Amino acid sequence: MKFTPKYIDQNVNVSKTHPLVEMAWLIGGLLVLVVVLYLILGFTAELAVTKIPIRAELQLGEYFADNFDSVDNPALQQRLQQLLETLPTESPLHQYDFIVQLVESDEINALALPGGHIVVFSGLLEQVASENELALVLAHELGHFAHRDHLRRLGRGLGLTLGAMLLFGEDSSAGRLATNLLLVSESRYSRQQESDADRWGLELLVACYGHAGGATDFFRRAARDAGSHIPYLMASHPHPDDRVRELQALIAAKGYPVAITESLREDLLTVGSEE
Amino acid sequence: MFDVILQNFDLFLFFCLAVLGYTCGTIAEKRHYKSIIRREKELLKLMVVNAEGHFAEGVVKQSFLVNGSAVISNDYFKRMLAILRNIFGGRVKAYESLIDRSRREAILRMKQEARAKGAHMIVNLRLETSTIGRAANQKNQVGSIEALAYGTAVVMNRK
Repeated sequence: MKFTPKYIDQNVNVSKTHPLVEMAWLIGGLLVLVVVLYLILGFTAELAVTKIPIRAELQLGEYFADNFDSVDNPALQQRLQQLLETLPTESPLHQYDFIVQLVESDEINALALPGGHIVVFSGLLEQVASENELALVLAHELGHFAHRDHLRRLGRGLGLTLGAMLLFGEDSSAGRLATNLLLVSESRYSRQQESDADRWGLELLVACYGHAGGATDFFRRAARDAGSHIPYLMASHPHPDDRVRELQALIAAKGYPVAITESLREDLLTVGSEE
Repeated sequence: MFDVILQNFDLFLFFCLAVLGYTCGTIAEKRHYKSIIRREKELLKLMVVNAEGHFAEGVVKQSFLVNGSAVISNDYFKRMLAILRNIFGGRVKAYESLIDRSRREAILRMKQEARAKGAHMIVNLRLETSTIGRAANQKNQVGSIEALAYGTAVVMNRK
């Protein structure tokens, strides 16, 4: 046997695919996977939310209540009680023990947390001028509870965290990135949910006061500060202008009377002026 | 922008390392392959077989062990590709070139040693591969692989 040296040019041991092309395929595949997971989770959360008993939710709520540096506010609590009393007795909302808490913050916002905690930021209280406006804000948050929006959000967030953990392992930066990105997008209610809560809140306001006066005042004031519509195309909350328009359309459609608003009573005026 | 970087500093670092890994890794790989191909052509005439050598009496003047080993490091980009590959399955193409380079480099070093010692051929070639370094077989660490080539160099009795 004779040995004939010959150089073989091609290399079968290394694939020809460009690494960046492979990377693009893999990331693309991963994105598709995430989107599918997201849709499935959204769907199942939607199904599950209506079936979770309020009692189970109350236990969950205890975990969330500690996240905010908040104090109970008897004045706000009294307003909420007034709204709750106008609810029909068969309303499932009566199973909650609602607690209104005030957080010192310039943010103009209020939150509905699982378990019946309503958090009102003092920035919002400073903006409110009448009892009716405040009632609408609280009724709006009650609307979120009535539609169980807070659970819907939670269900998806938990599912996503779980999914990312399964994919990337419990403590990987890729997993953390995925959860962070997705939780940010999930941390607010959808515009549809906000509109629905507005509508529900308006009905409660009318049931409580007998007229829809003051319903649009708060958003009208917010609209003046909010300015352009363009950023609101992306935002989770509808633009205040749109909310005003929607509420007015509803008031007109249902034929609710609009009467003079009741100015804010003493006990809450002090909260705003302390700032 | 700066805040976002600070908040996700580990991710930012990871991204930087991946970019660094890709650019440096690609440059190093290209240069290495160039050098491998050049030296392989140079040493082509030195025969290497993995068969056992059976020689008639008096043909072999001298025989001795020769070995060569090479350690090639993984980089962050390749690791990321491999992690993503782990999700979907399939060939981990990112690591193929690492193995290929280290084996060929190890064989080349072995051949260089044999030539320096005046051998005419190498028989009984064997190859071993292992992961080494502090990080070997550990999660979240970039490891290296080592290929070891060894064989019996043979010096013939030539007239």
